[in-house]
Amino acid sequence: MPPIVQVADLRKRYGEIEAVRGISFDVQQGEVFGMLGPNGAGKTTTVEILEGLRKADSGSARVAGVDVFADPSGVKQRIGVQLQASAFPEHLTARETVDFFAACYDLDVDAIGLLRAVELDERAGQLQERLSGGQRQRLSIATALVNSPQVLFLDEPTTGLDPQARRNLWGLIQSIRRGGTTVFLTTHYLDEAEVLCDRVAIMDQGRIVAMDPPRKLIGDLLARGFTKPVAQQQASLEDVFLDLTGHELREA
Amino acid sequence: MRQIARLTAALLRAYLRDRIALFFSLIVPLMLMVIFGYLNLGEFGRVSLAIDDQAKNSASDQLTTILKGIDTLDVTESSTDAALMKLRRTELDMLVVIPADFAIAPARPGQTVPQVTVYGDDARPQQVAVGRQIIASVIDRISFAVTQTAPVVGVKDESVQGVRLRYVDFLVPGILGVNIMQLAVFSVAFALVADKQRGVLRRIMATPVRIANLLTAHVITRLFIATGQVAVLLIVALVLFNVTIVGGLGPLVVVALLGTLLFLTIGFALAGWAQTENQVPAIAQLITLPQFFFSGVFFSKNAAPEVIRPITNLLPLTFLNDALREISVQGASLWDVRTQIAGLIVWIGLGFLLAVRLFRFERF
Repeated sequence: MPPIVQVADLRKRYGEIEAVRGISFDVQQGEVFGMLGPNGAGKTTTVEILEGLRKADSGSARVAGVDVFADPSGVKQRIGVQLQASAFPEHLTARETVDFFAACYDLDVDAIGLLRAVELDERAGQLQERLSGGQRQRLSIATALVNSPQVLFLDEPTTGLDPQARRNLWGLIQSIRRGGTTVFLTTHYLDEAEVLCDRVAIMDQGRIVAMDPPRKLIGDLLARGFTKPVAQQQASLEDVFLDLTGHELREA
Repeated sequence: MRQIARLTAALLRAYLRDRIALFFSLIVPLMLMVIFGYLNLGEFGRVSLAIDDQAKNSASDQLTTILKGIDTLDVTESSTDAALMKLRRTELDMLVVIPADFAIAPARPGQTVPQVTVYGDDARPQQVAVGRQIIASVIDRISFAVTQTAPVVGVKDESVQGVRLRYVDFLVPGILGVNIMQLAVFSVAFALVADKQRGVLRRIMATPVRIANLLTAHVITRLFIATGQVAVLLIVALVLFNVTIVGGLGPLVVVALLGTLLFLTIGFALAGWAQTENQVPAIAQLITLPQFFFSGVFFSKNAAPEVIRPITNLLPLTFLNDALREISVQGASLWDVRTQIAGLIVWIGLGFLLAVRLFRFERF
């Protein structure tokens, strides 16, 4: 099977700042591909170019067999997106929001079924602006799934969520992957990448500095003789937090 | 088509749930209407008219007496020369010269009809227009009484009781026009720029929805709201100010909707161009304020310096106000105001092109 995302020598400059400096990578069908990096590394710019929202200066990109530069609308038909800084139209319920996006694709969908898939069917009649942060992220994924996309792009999906909501979203992403959808996500949470991603690309200052499965990246580092100054604890503070407060979602 | 209908249904539902938007589209225009309606009622209520009766016969007496009995008119008798002087100093709105051969009798073939000459102050065209309406309908009624035939020249509609025409009747179409402009430009620009800043438009643009369809859905949504607004304003005008609307309500609503469409496209172009909500009021004022003053809403459009009059005559609101006024005050049909309608349609085309061109969602 050919790669579902193919990127070659992609470049993007904003005035003096070179946000993306000639990156190349492939994403295989069915995998969860993670793009890691600090804020300002160029992750969002890259993703938005692949989503057909931004024009690159040079290079090439194909998503789901479509040339992104030649046919951005064709790409939009085939992908689902969750943007980092975005919002839904106000004064619509969760169900109406899903229907609104279905109308944007000119498709009829089972809105309640989609909401059930993200465990939001009980909130179907609630105005979307009254949903909690985690609920809104799940609604966002429901709207990204209205067109049964081949690739789902998630830009920092768990930023700002509490640990329970994060883990719940991880479970959702894994179930979407099991359904056969390729997932392309960006994050700056390394634990998230380690749990979710089959492969990660680490981006810094507009370049990809490493790209491999998380286990291999760690193995390579250890092979180079790396040791942590303090022995790794067997549990983290997050484990303590989750042990004390439980894994269940805390959403009224 | 189906996509537009679905998007419109969603947008309309959201709009009707938005109390603040509803407030601005209904309550604020009503306040404007009430404030300006009362303000202008006392201030400009009467038309000052001088009569130079050169005939001094029973027919001219009859005309003068009827005119003097009309509340809206402030009638004095004066010589032509003295009246023209006053007219030039804008101390007088109108002068009516009744010729020496004035008579009210059936015209016979080959015989010239006596001409009543009316002078008007160009700087006060609203008052002059009201005065002309009154004079024309009075003459029609007198001649109708004598000849028992329909007048040769005159007012189209028997129900045109020109005598009842007051300044507020003249003012209401202008207020309607300016409210249509304000609602369309401001509500659309604010709502869409807010959507842009919050990232709503960006999220929508990540779908393959056609921009034209999305814009059309927004336009149809606002046309529904505007129809409601026009209806409420007209009802208040009829009930509160007892306004006389001579022309048909149908043509009035058609022109009002065309005007809404026009200013919506301008609102969309502005929303497309502006990046932050702070830019909206500044630019919106820049667009609406000159029209507020130069398109004959409260002030005469002829008060503008002669050099810029060719421009002010082409302003969108001028076309809208003129059409609304001719329908409401003079009972014009849609065909009668075809020039203004053509002007509105040209502006709609320009505005639509501009809106589609300026709609960009990229942040950089």
